[in-house]
Amino acid sequence: MAAVLALCVVLSGCSGEETGGGKVVLQYTWWGNPDRAARTEEAVALFEERHPGVEVQTSFAGYEAYKQKLATQAAGGDAPDVMQLDYRMIDQYASGGVLLDLRGEVRTEDIERGLLATGVVDGKQYAIPQGRGTETVVYDTKAWERSGVPLPREGWTWDQWADAMRELREKTGRPGGTDPGQSEDAFEVWLRGQGKELYTDDRRLGFDADDLAEWWTFTDRLRREGAVSPAEQTTQLDGAVENTPLGRGTAISDFNWDAPSSGYLALVEGGVTLAPMPSAGDGTPGQYFKPSMFMGVGASTPHAKRAAQLVDFLVNDPDAAKILGATRGIPVNETIREDIAPELKDFDKTIADFQASLDGTLNAPPKAPPSGDSALQTTFQRDYDQVSYERMSPREAAENYITEAKAELRS
Amino acid sequence: MTATQMPPAVRPSGAAAAKKAAGRRREGAAWVFLSPWVLGACVLTLLPMAVSLYLSFTDYDLFNPPNWVGLRNYTQMFTEDPRYWRSVVTTLTYVVIAVPLQLGLALVVALALKNMRRGRGFYRSAFYAPSLLGASMSIALVWRAVFNDGGTVDNLLGTGGWVNRPGWSLLAVALLTVWQFGAPMVIFLAGLQQIPGELYEAAEVDGAGKWRQFLSITVPMLSPVIFFNVVLQTIQAFQVFTPAFAVSAGKGGPADSTLVYTLYLYDRAFVASHMGYASAMAWVLLVVIGAVTAVLFRTSRSWVFYASEGER
Amino acid sequence: MTTSSTVATRKPVAWRRLALHVGCLAALLVMLYPLAWLLATSVKPADEVIASLDLLPSRLEWSNYTTALDGVNDVSVWQLLGNSLFIAGGAVIGNVLSCSLAAYAFARLRFRLRGPLFAFMIATIMLPHHAVLIPQYIIFNQLGMVNTYWPLILPKFLATEAFFVFLIVQFMRGLPRELEEAARIDGCGPFGSFFRVILPLTRPALITTAIFTFIWTWNDFFTQLIYLFSPEKFTLTLALRSFVDASSTSAFGPMFAMSVIALLPIVLFFLAFQRFLVEGMASSGIKG
Repeated sequence: MAAVLALCVVLSGCSGEETGGGKVVLQYTWWGNPDRAARTEEAVALFEERHPGVEVQTSFAGYEAYKQKLATQAAGGDAPDVMQLDYRMIDQYASGGVLLDLRGEVRTEDIERGLLATGVVDGKQYAIPQGRGTETVVYDTKAWERSGVPLPREGWTWDQWADAMRELREKTGRPGGTDPGQSEDAFEVWLRGQGKELYTDDRRLGFDADDLAEWWTFTDRLRREGAVSPAEQTTQLDGAVENTPLGRGTAISDFNWDAPSSGYLALVEGGVTLAPMPSAGDGTPGQYFKPSMFMGVGASTPHAKRAAQLVDFLVNDPDAAKILGATRGIPVNETIREDIAPELKDFDKTIADFQASLDGTLNAPPKAPPSGDSALQTTFQRDYDQVSYERMSPREAAENYITEAKAELRS
Repeated sequence: MTATQMPPAVRPSGAAAAKKAAGRRREGAAWVFLSPWVLGACVLTLLPMAVSLYLSFTDYDLFNPPNWVGLRNYTQMFTEDPRYWRSVVTTLTYVVIAVPLQLGLALVVALALKNMRRGRGFYRSAFYAPSLLGASMSIALVWRAVFNDGGTVDNLLGTGGWVNRPGWSLLAVALLTVWQFGAPMVIFLAGLQQIPGELYEAAEVDGAGKWRQFLSITVPMLSPVIFFNVVLQTIQAFQVFTPAFAVSAGKGGPADSTLVYTLYLYDRAFVASHMGYASAMAWVLLVVIGAVTAVLFRTSRSWVFYASEGER
Repeated sequence: MTTSSTVATRKPVAWRRLALHVGCLAALLVMLYPLAWLLATSVKPADEVIASLDLLPSRLEWSNYTTALDGVNDVSVWQLLGNSLFIAGGAVIGNVLSCSLAAYAFARLRFRLRGPLFAFMIATIMLPHHAVLIPQYIIFNQLGMVNTYWPLILPKFLATEAFFVFLIVQFMRGLPRELEEAARIDGCGPFGSFFRVILPLTRPALITTAIFTFIWTWNDFFTQLIYLFSPEKFTLTLALRSFVDASSTSAFGPMFAMSVIALLPIVLFFLAFQRFLVEGMASSGIKG
């Protein structure tokens, strides 16, 4: 009985590859917005023109919805032929046998080595990065300038950042920025500055309770001083720029990724500027270029060759690149990045310039995080909530987190 | 076609054998009526339930084949997971707040509308309007705005925001449920429609006052429907997910104060990919709800009146 | 059909009626405030959507609506609406039919295992649906029904929604037993008395089932998301909610506009059908 049920769970169904009129039909799914959809459709149409025997069915949704749909499909043995993946999904999907090794199937010569390596799990190239992004201290240009507090500059340190937050508070009466204590991403930048990583190469925790307690003590003090946002505001972060203190006009700056920062333009009257993340006291940068999204090919696809061609086309073809622009982040293909740079407009150009200013100064990105990380990201916020609502000391919460993280990574 | 005017049925007296044959025929008929349900229950309900029960004894993670781990998920849940127990307490608190409030409001409004001659359609639609929305992203944002620092509620009551304070946030979640009381209200209204008016006329002739009529006609005649609403709303309250997800943007915050049982289950299943653990949580919940429902059914014998059974 | 209230009590009754209206209106004012907020926000400019605490927008931003509809360019809104109507309509027919059949057996027929089966039926709504999502998906995938409307409609024809079965059971149990006895004397079998006697008398419950099924199916974003792949098969709810993605750009304004658009059809549906709720059997010739 149990065996039959187990079989039922693991049994992969046939994916929907019915051939319409002798054509090869590829399913390609991604998350994104209507603008990305329109550009993707155009690029896909060009692909179909070049490969007359292929029809590409596309489908997209918002990120949260997409994530769950893809997980359900993958669990049901029904993953699409070509799918867009996030950094945090790679390890899970690759080790779960959902993805195909693309080494040799897709041209990767022009892709930055460090970024390409993030798509490797157990020595196989399961995912190809498409675009890159990086974290930034994004601030209300006018408000910060008017306050008279020295502007952020390249190579500034966490201590200088903290002083700036305090001064902003003094001069403007508003917190200088969002409390970064809840953000695993900000913690990672700080940690890398100390020469450590979130995870070791063998999927274990790369730091201990002392590191985390130090970080949380640092942010906890700033919060108590009013230099960063109070718990009641920080807890409302949900990924949308509208719900950040900066977006609501209750703080001067925020930590965010570069691409989504375009959202502040509609909300912050004084315009926004992207500044680099603070470095450690000795100048070690913690910031890094992260692949903003990847493409992968489903392991059960009956048209592996065609699917890989589509991936190759979207990543490497100059004509496709012209259509896609920076809609999936600044391209990781270096030739293409140079080609399209002059054509970028508005905030895309701001991002490209920001990234160009950092090129060559940053260390290589870490490997894709282990599967447990998606759970730990929330755990991180939950444990810091206990600190910011003053129910636990930073030390207690840090020790809690370490216990939970170890259990999560073991399983 | 008024029921009450029918003469009382005369039992056809016949041999025991004839009675048995009739019984068999009716048994056959019952299975015909049940056939779609039986098919659906076996293929679409029983099979998935059995699979999830099996998975609750495994380490299934959505991506790799499940491995049998015995009772590990259950022991881990009960002995090693403080967040699990916090979610239990949160859920019980929610059930105790939301169910009586929502049902009470639904019943009061339904009774008020029943006696209304003009504007009943308008009121019914207006009171149902919030329930049309479900719990979409936009209603979540509205709720978070209304119950935020400086939001409407803060301005009126001076309590500060609710959604961002651990002591208050669960109340904001419960109020979202209470606000959408349209479904039980409509069911109450439908139940009230079914009460034969002759009963009230007869009572009025007997000189019974409104209150007396309410107690001796409305309550007993409505009791099957009241019972339905109590059972269903209790079951649904134990499984509350959407309002908590909406108000806390899926996180169950602040400080886990809205991390209700099913939200934590979802978090385990689809964020942490511990589907085995989540399945175990689901089955524990089923057992608890089952026990509560069984108690409700037992008490129903003393207060629910079915006309088809003719007595209490 | 006339009320039996006496002349002597007329005046207090009038006062009471007035008080009732005042009370209801006051309650509505509170209840509809969030809806007013939703409507007002759908025409607010981006920087006021969250940041501003005023109910009314400083200026009307109709572009939220055009942006919300822009996203669905590829597939016409009419086709999406048609898809939604097809699914919701199919679900209504399925639920009313299959749930009333099952309910009749549970409420009024005697058969072996009735108690245990009824308990099992109630138990099926006690397991959180997240736990059975994946097994169900696998079953529909094995049946080759993913990316068709079958997973959305077929379960309704198989009475899988115990909520409605139980609802109709409760209404049927409220009907006097003599009804069928009389029908039997008139020569009706179980089928005859079901269709001719019981079903018409259960109308309020059936109308309720139909209305709820329609609204809940219409709003059921999640099932539609999981089972539908091709955009031309999308429903209005699915298309609007997929195309306006809050995570990648600042799009709260259009998202509110989208909610309003998605809401309109079910508001119209409810307004059209809610009056049938009053026209149950009991209301003929009777004033409650």
